[in-house]
Amino acid sequence: MSQETFDVIVIGTGAGGGMALRTLCEAGLKVCALNAGRRLTPSRDFRNHRMPWDMKYRAFGDPKKLAQSYGYMDNEYTQGIWEHEIIYTTAPGTEWMWPRCFAVGGKTNFWGRSSARFGDIDFRAASLDGYDVDWPVTYEEIAPYYTRVEKMIGVASTVQNRPSNPDGEYLPPFNFRCLDRILESGARKIGVPYLPDRIAQLTRNHNGHPACHFCGNCTEGCDTGSFFSTPWFFLPSAEKSGHLDLRPNALVRQILVDNDGRAQGVAYIDRTTRKDLEVRGRAIVVAASSVESARIMLNSKSRHWPTGIANSSGQLGRNLCDHMYGTAARGYLPQLLGAPSFPDNVSASTIAWMPRWQNLRNPREEKFIRGYSVYPDGGCGDFPWYFDQIEGFGSEFKKTIKRRYPTPVNFTMQAPALRSDTNYVDIDPEVKDAYGIPAARIHFQWDPNTLLMWEHAKQACKDVLKAAGGEYLGAADRPEPPGYSLHETGTCRMGNDPKKFVTNRFGQTHDVSNLFVCDASVFLNCTDKTTTISILTFALRSAEHLIERFRSGNV
Amino acid sequence: MLQFMAAGAFAARFPGFRKWQFVCQQEAERGAQIRPAAYTPRFFTTAEYAALERLTELIIPSDDTPGAKEAGVAEFIDFMVSSDPSIQDDFRHGLAWLDGDARRLHQKPFVELNAAAQTALLRSLAYSDQKLPGDESGRRFFHLVRHYTVMGYYTTRIGLEQLDCPSLKSYSESPGCPHVDDPEHRRLSPA
Repeated sequence: MSQETFDVIVIGTGAGGGMALRTLCEAGLKVCALNAGRRLTPSRDFRNHRMPWDMKYRAFGDPKKLAQSYGYMDNEYTQGIWEHEIIYTTAPGTEWMWPRCFAVGGKTNFWGRSSARFGDIDFRAASLDGYDVDWPVTYEEIAPYYTRVEKMIGVASTVQNRPSNPDGEYLPPFNFRCLDRILESGARKIGVPYLPDRIAQLTRNHNGHPACHFCGNCTEGCDTGSFFSTPWFFLPSAEKSGHLDLRPNALVRQILVDNDGRAQGVAYIDRTTRKDLEVRGRAIVVAASSVESARIMLNSKSRHWPTGIANSSGQLGRNLCDHMYGTAARGYLPQLLGAPSFPDNVSASTIAWMPRWQNLRNPREEKFIRGYSVYPDGGCGDFPWYFDQIEGFGSEFKKTIKRRYPTPVNFTMQAPALRSDTNYVDIDPEVKDAYGIPAARIHFQWDPNTLLMWEHAKQACKDVLKAAGGEYLGAADRPEPPGYSLHETGTCRMGNDPKKFVTNRFGQTHDVSNLFVCDASVFLNCTDKTTTISILTFALRSAEHLIERFRSGNV
Repeated sequence: MLQFMAAGAFAARFPGFRKWQFVCQQEAERGAQIRPAAYTPRFFTTAEYAALERLTELIIPSDDTPGAKEAGVAEFIDFMVSSDPSIQDDFRHGLAWLDGDARRLHQKPFVELNAAAQTALLRSLAYSDQKLPGDESGRRFFHLVRHYTVMGYYTTRIGLEQLDCPSLKSYSESPGCPHVDDPEHRRLSPA
């Protein structure tokens, strides 16, 4: 076994780990990247071009296995990709529905691609409404990193001048579909914004990546690499540099420390041989996603760090946040009854959005603080799910299904949880995973503020639909359970005070100067925007900070 | 076709795209396989299967476009039920209920009724304003069969072609709404 010491060990290869390893390798540093799952082969593992009849269960999945499924993304298109062996537990009363992709590239293989920047309205939210604390950064200092990330990955959108959403540098947007133009007309009547989403999906060839071919199954993985993922966008250059040693199936047990309590390596298990291995590095970047990063660090106990590495503040694993998702309204647009079918599903999700419009003039205008966004969608899809809204059978039933095909619409709310002392990750005292590593245990409840947003969103989306001349058919009985959005944040929050925060404003842990966190763990909260582009942005900044420290000999 | 030719121009430059074309071709060939003439059910008895197949034909008939029969929906349902113990009793008891009801009304099993009688029987199960007291379990069974018939039909090429599903084509541009002067779509030709 080689005793080579790498410059940096990166744990995880999702958005944060991918950005870190790419940036570090391109700067000439020797990187060992550990990833808990296998490496995917796009032509074999991504089934996005299969039609339902090409699959045994017509994409509905093996009924006997559905009970063990983690939900909506764990389907026949992506079978074998989601993690089942490495378990987590939930505290009594916590419901947490959580499909996890441990493959190389992590969730970037399947992400939703909506890519809005955070702004000062998010970073300074506490100053505006008095809840919690501000982020230790300003938009002005983060904005150039957002610009670089947008140029790197390609984001399609328009300049919108919204107070809640700073604009960036965009590829041409996706065109509005008939349903968007109808809903936009309704939204305009009642003063709700309805705009092209910011979507990291290539409407033009970009940096050697081919433009999208609009097949519409993006969340099943893209076999042409026409939206950002670590394997398509970062691994090629990192591997070409000759500085990357990527180790798949490497499940981290703990971070090892030297006699001074500084990080010096990582103990991991090779899942293919079940052997315990170690690797040494001068610095370590943890980017395993909020819950797993917390688990690794909490499990890294030593004489110096009896409650987990870099946890002198006691805040490691605390402050877990998540986005509440829910179908706030659904219905159909009678204007489109019987219209010719239209390729509404070409991006599989977010052509349009209704970016936060609440609490903008006054941070306490509504019954809740902060705000939420909505993703409207619908039209001709892969399956006529609306059939159960139609009575009967026979030719009339068949014709009605066809007539309704272009018309269904739905509104998905994305609302942030507020930071709370009762939402956190700790280590289950009893349960271990298949390799004997103690499991993460999740404690999480929606807070009243987020539930008020849900009520508000149901009314607002109903109003938009009705103003657009649509038929309203109701909302979901309840929002989706926590975990569903895959937008968890906040277990290693960043802040200037080492007593209150795990990491500083560069994602470097206050306690261990050669240990960095490069995922959404460092975020103060989840905001109303999606997480990936901000993970990339903060990870780029952290990685360059680490490179500077290498250059100045100060690691 | 134009779109596929444009895709061919990309293929030389992007290895991923070439793979995709290969996959498309493979799947097109696989989709064209020939169904055997006689089908032996995996789960249902021959009599049960005949009733099930008739139900799927009544739910999605062959009219001016192909229906459940051409799409092989009964075979799909037989496969799904054989794969899912949690719905086996519901199907078996439901088919028995249906035959029982047919015999009660017409002294014949369901498959031997004429089309008008079969349709009349289903109407009381399908429409809330025509329901008869005591038919609760029959209505649940009808909706179960209807659910699986829709699943089976609209996951075949026949079913998706009937909808003109956009996934059957590919596009070289993000398609936009063509009704430039009519944002509210008040003036689409009446359907």
